[in-house]
Amino acid sequence: MTFDPGFTAVALVMIVSALFVVRARHLIHAALWLGVTLLATAVLYAQLNAPFLAGVQVLTYVGGLLTLMIFGVMVTRRHEGLDAAAESDGKDRGFIFATALFVILAVVTWTSAPVIASPAKVATTAELARALLDEYLIAFEALSLLLLAAIVGAVVLVRRRDAVPGAAADTPALPATPEVNP
Amino acid sequence: MTDFTHGALYGGGIITVIMTLVALALWGERKMAARMQSRLGPTLVGPFGLLQPVADVLKLLQKEDIVPDEADRVLFNLAPPLGAIGALAVAAVVPFSASIIGADLDAGVLYLLAIGALGVLPVFIAGWGSNNKFALLGAMRAIAQSVSYEVPLVLAALVPVILTGTMKVSAIVEYQAQHHWLIAWPFFLGVPAFVLFMLAMLAESNRIPFDIPEAESELVAGITTEYTGMKFALFYMAEYLHTLIASAVAAALFLGGWDGPFAPGLHWMAAKTLGLFAFVYWVRWTLLRFRSDQLMALCWRWLVPTGVALVLGAALWVVFVG
Repeated sequence: MTFDPGFTAVALVMIVSALFVVRARHLIHAALWLGVTLLATAVLYAQLNAPFLAGVQVLTYVGGLLTLMIFGVMVTRRHEGLDAAAESDGKDRGFIFATALFVILAVVTWTSAPVIASPAKVATTAELARALLDEYLIAFEALSLLLLAAIVGAVVLVRRRDAVPGAAADTPALPATPEVNP
Repeated sequence: MTDFTHGALYGGGIITVIMTLVALALWGERKMAARMQSRLGPTLVGPFGLLQPVADVLKLLQKEDIVPDEADRVLFNLAPPLGAIGALAVAAVVPFSASIIGADLDAGVLYLLAIGALGVLPVFIAGWGSNNKFALLGAMRAIAQSVSYEVPLVLAALVPVILTGTMKVSAIVEYQAQHHWLIAWPFFLGVPAFVLFMLAMLAESNRIPFDIPEAESELVAGITTEYTGMKFALFYMAEYLHTLIASAVAAALFLGGWDGPFAPGLHWMAAKTLGLFAFVYWVRWTLLRFRSDQLMALCWRWLVPTGVALVLGAALWVVFVG
């Protein structure tokens, strides 16, 4: 295994920023650190000769997901000044699960197929498209169906919140908003 | 290390040219706006007031650099340079002529959409970091607007990708040089896609009539409320940079880029880019600002369905005709 300064730098940025994500005291800071982690992941993909994947990573995760998360924080939290504290309970459980996951992934990576010796072949966008929409079409469409189901499920959960007794007690007390359209 | 040297020199050259263009564009815009309002515009500094941008920068450099006490200091200072960097990063894949192109990526269109999508983060960081209610309101509007208009922008950019069958920006221009500009044929796909792209791009770069995040008559100055001196100037510059580079992208994707008779490719590209740029400013000084809800309605009720229809139409065109 050779020492690669580029990879080491990106990996360090990823790990440090990921630590900041979970340790940040403000939700917004955590979200912005997550942006750094996601961008570093994109750089890693680019280093691995997968520019398309890198682009998609930036477009969907940083451009879409992160922006939505920040938007979500801003519309759901009452923001008085810069106060949007990141509260979390169950830090011990989280630590145990994260460590367990890390060990499992490390063992699997270590014992599985050897590292490809030379730089992997660069797949063009056209080749990727052919693979996704021809060879693996069924799997690709099944995935999109799964995502659709997840969206529908989320909508159902949100709409049904009032109907579940006891659920309201767990949610933090929001200022009572008058029903505009009962 | 030659690659690195080459890249640094190329990047430095392009950035210098673009920055100079932005300074000239500032002067040009003020002159044009003045003419439209029966005024003279800048006349005093230098011939025809041409040195006015220099005077402006000198003035801004002398201003006090204020950071509000209650601001999030790091984020507050990080936002202005990030905005300018994000706008400049797109220029890497723009083909200014057949040979002048920074990185001819295989997924070039994807790259510029991805970097464009990052553009909202500095705006948000500025709004949040300022810890000012007007700035925060501006930032919230900016995010809502950016998330919405991202969709038609991507859909519009997909039309040339489907019609030419490649995501490489230089290959898209090459195709247009060999066949026909996409805005000319198939015009019923090219023209609406071009208009859609320009509208979404205007919205993404927060220009009038889509400048709701700033909206000086409602929100003081929106996200830039707390910024002074050069930091404010960086925001201002980033806006111009964004418009200029997005004009170049639109010229490359729809107007045939460097292709044209009689003159070198660079001249054609510059003419098309600056023409679009001037058009954007013409619109800016002609139209009023949209209301926030009108902006959203326009996007989701009209632009997104149009975009979906255009993508479908382009796919059908490629399958059955092209």
